[in-house]
Amino acid sequence: MIISQLGYYSLIFGLLTSIFIFFNSSIQLKKNNPIISDKITGLIGFQFFFVFISFISLVYSFVISDFSNETVYNNSHTTKPLFYKVTGTWGNHEGSLLLWLLVLSGVLLGFIFKSKNEPSNYRLLTTLLHQIIVIGFFVFVLKTSNPFNEIFPVQTEGLGLNPILQDPALGIHPPILYLGYVGTSIIFSAALASMISNYLNKSWAKNIKFWILFSWIFLTGGILLGSIWAYYELGWGGFWFWDPVENVSLMPWLSLTALLHCIVTLEKRELFKKWTIVLCIITFALSMVGTFLVRSGILNSVHTFANDPSRGIYILTFLLVLVLLSFVIFIIYENKNFTQESEIFTLSKETAVLINNWFILYFLSVVLIGTIYPIFLDVILDEQISVGPPFYNMLILPFLIPFVLFMSIGPSMKWIKTNFEIGAKSFLVIIFTLILSFFTVYFIGEKNIFILLLFIGFFYLLLKSLDQLREKTKNFAQIFSHTGFSLLLISILLNSFSSKEIIKNIQVGESFTLKNEKIIFKKIAIEKEKNYESIVGLFEILDDKNRIIYLQPEIRIYNEPEIATSEASIKTTLFKDRFITINIIKDQNFFNVRYQHKPFMIWIWISTLIIMLGGMFAIFRKNKEVNI
Amino acid sequence: MFMKSKKLLKIKILIILILTCSSFKNTAISSSFSEEQTVNITKNLRCLICQGQTIHESNSDFAESMKKYIKSELENGKTNDEVFSSLIEKYGQWIVYDPGISRNTLLLWALPLLLFLIGGVIIVRKILEKYE
Repeated sequence: MIISQLGYYSLIFGLLTSIFIFFNSSIQLKKNNPIISDKITGLIGFQFFFVFISFISLVYSFVISDFSNETVYNNSHTTKPLFYKVTGTWGNHEGSLLLWLLVLSGVLLGFIFKSKNEPSNYRLLTTLLHQIIVIGFFVFVLKTSNPFNEIFPVQTEGLGLNPILQDPALGIHPPILYLGYVGTSIIFSAALASMISNYLNKSWAKNIKFWILFSWIFLTGGILLGSIWAYYELGWGGFWFWDPVENVSLMPWLSLTALLHCIVTLEKRELFKKWTIVLCIITFALSMVGTFLVRSGILNSVHTFANDPSRGIYILTFLLVLVLLSFVIFIIYENKNFTQESEIFTLSKETAVLINNWFILYFLSVVLIGTIYPIFLDVILDEQISVGPPFYNMLILPFLIPFVLFMSIGPSMKWIKTNFEIGAKSFLVIIFTLILSFFTVYFIGEKNIFILLLFIGFFYLLLKSLDQLREKTKNFAQIFSHTGFSLLLISILLNSFSSKEIIKNIQVGESFTLKNEKIIFKKIAIEKEKNYESIVGLFEILDDKNRIIYLQPEIRIYNEPEIATSEASIKTTLFKDRFITINIIKDQNFFNVRYQHKPFMIWIWISTLIIMLGGMFAIFRKNKEVNI
Repeated sequence: MFMKSKKLLKIKILIILILTCSSFKNTAISSSFSEEQTVNITKNLRCLICQGQTIHESNSDFAESMKKYIKSELENGKTNDEVFSSLIEKYGQWIVYDPGISRNTLLLWALPLLLFLIGGVIIVRKILEKYE
């Protein structure tokens, strides 16, 4: 109870510190000091400290199950394992916003430390602008989503945590995702500050590149964890459904990817300044839109946890204020920053980056319009439509072919001007691509010419990326992420075209077959855990070489709250996952059994990790340059 | 506005549930002929009582009765399109994951493509600046 109070007052102090920093940094700006005073740095440290204390208090209240706290009461239970008590802290609206605030103040502290060699007015301005966002979120948390509300009389037991959130991957998914999501806020503040302080140049690009990479890596990791969770927890074996909540995490990822390529161009050639700033603003705005869409509860989705219009209206208003502010700054300082830019040659890396941005922004617009169009249609015409996978496949897949072709040849272009030579080795790559693609299409038995074209594009990207390993100066960051991306596309395509599935209603002792495998329902057992009871089925699978594989899918009946979930049992190999789920059929001895072959599933995860590894190489390389 | 339409939706769903549960009880005929076709259809339908799941993926009573209904319709000789349009007539466009092209969705399809074209024009002009 006292700890919970401590958390609340710590938040108030945090808000006061923010206001103080805001005024202090504007005074400092007027003085035009060449070095940023320790006072500001200290204050930023304090601000983070206060939010941290507040956050730890909430975690502590969850751990000791302090049911005088409303958030704890609504989202926890004494029988929960410790791990889910802790992760329950951010498994709800109030706690997740406190995590937002923690990351928001944390990235500013990180920025101040990482930018010691930058001009002080740029650092001060970034601090000042960042405080506007911080104050906005402090007020939001305190006014609409206070995690430290008390309830009287004090309850003896909590309402429990939604069982589908009681999962290790989903436990750590929010912090990782938020580091990426909220990390974009510092990119926004720094971009506006660089315009005002006339610091929009190569060294700025170098400085902010770290934060772009930082957000990008964590956002990729967050999306990966979310997909893995959806794959095994939601029970149908899919990992991406173009669900609105998935889309809102993909949108900032797309614009960050575009920004990543732009910032390199700015760093090397001082080009695309205006566009880079626009992308910085778009990226953060998309993170805010995502928060608005998820937190307002206007989405119909598997992942929606909150339902409160006043919260949505606050975020939307705040977002509009920030966008308006950046728009005004952009207009005022436009002439100062964007004087003449050097020309671009048709065949150059600059053009390749432009084309990259063109396509990525198109994909972004597809996802954005697909996500928000139904909302507008509902509001304006009161008509409900669903925009699902058919829409996205139709608008994205055909465009992927030219996109990966440009992506294949882009990296081998040079800055300023490229003279293309088509040697024997280029032909070799093309021939290998064709052989691989024809073989794959033949192997999966697909006769569609469009699928063949997709494979040709993806394999060409793979081979071209690997081919770069022969070059003298290797760009490992780019090679890894491009190779990873091509592997990701290939595995997704293979996975979606050669997945096999069979659904049967059977009793214990019966069996069925899928392809050359025999699946035998051996027995059923009941087990009791601390927070749930489970019905465990034992299945024996005889594969085509007569090897035996055991799978044990479960039906869990959680006690608090009382919800049944179906837990998949998965056997992963390099070539395919065997995936089985069971469900109860009412008033019968039969079980509904769903058995699936999901080919190359593990490669979807591995290739995403390779993409992230590429980002880490980029950070590492940058540090090395600084050392020299 | 949102709340209102959500409430309306809930009432609609309730009516649908009652209707479906009472009328499709005795349609359990099994045949492998229309199995695959049923899956193709149900993969593209939203389970109205679940959150963000297709009818194919869901095990809810609603989804189960829908699967039986669609199968029986197919066995009665209806085509995929006929099944879809009868479902849309009954439950509204909301049930189908494919938004289709209609007066309401024209902008949905056209806007991204339009943006793509605009982007292309901007890039071509940017590159051509050199030759001026």
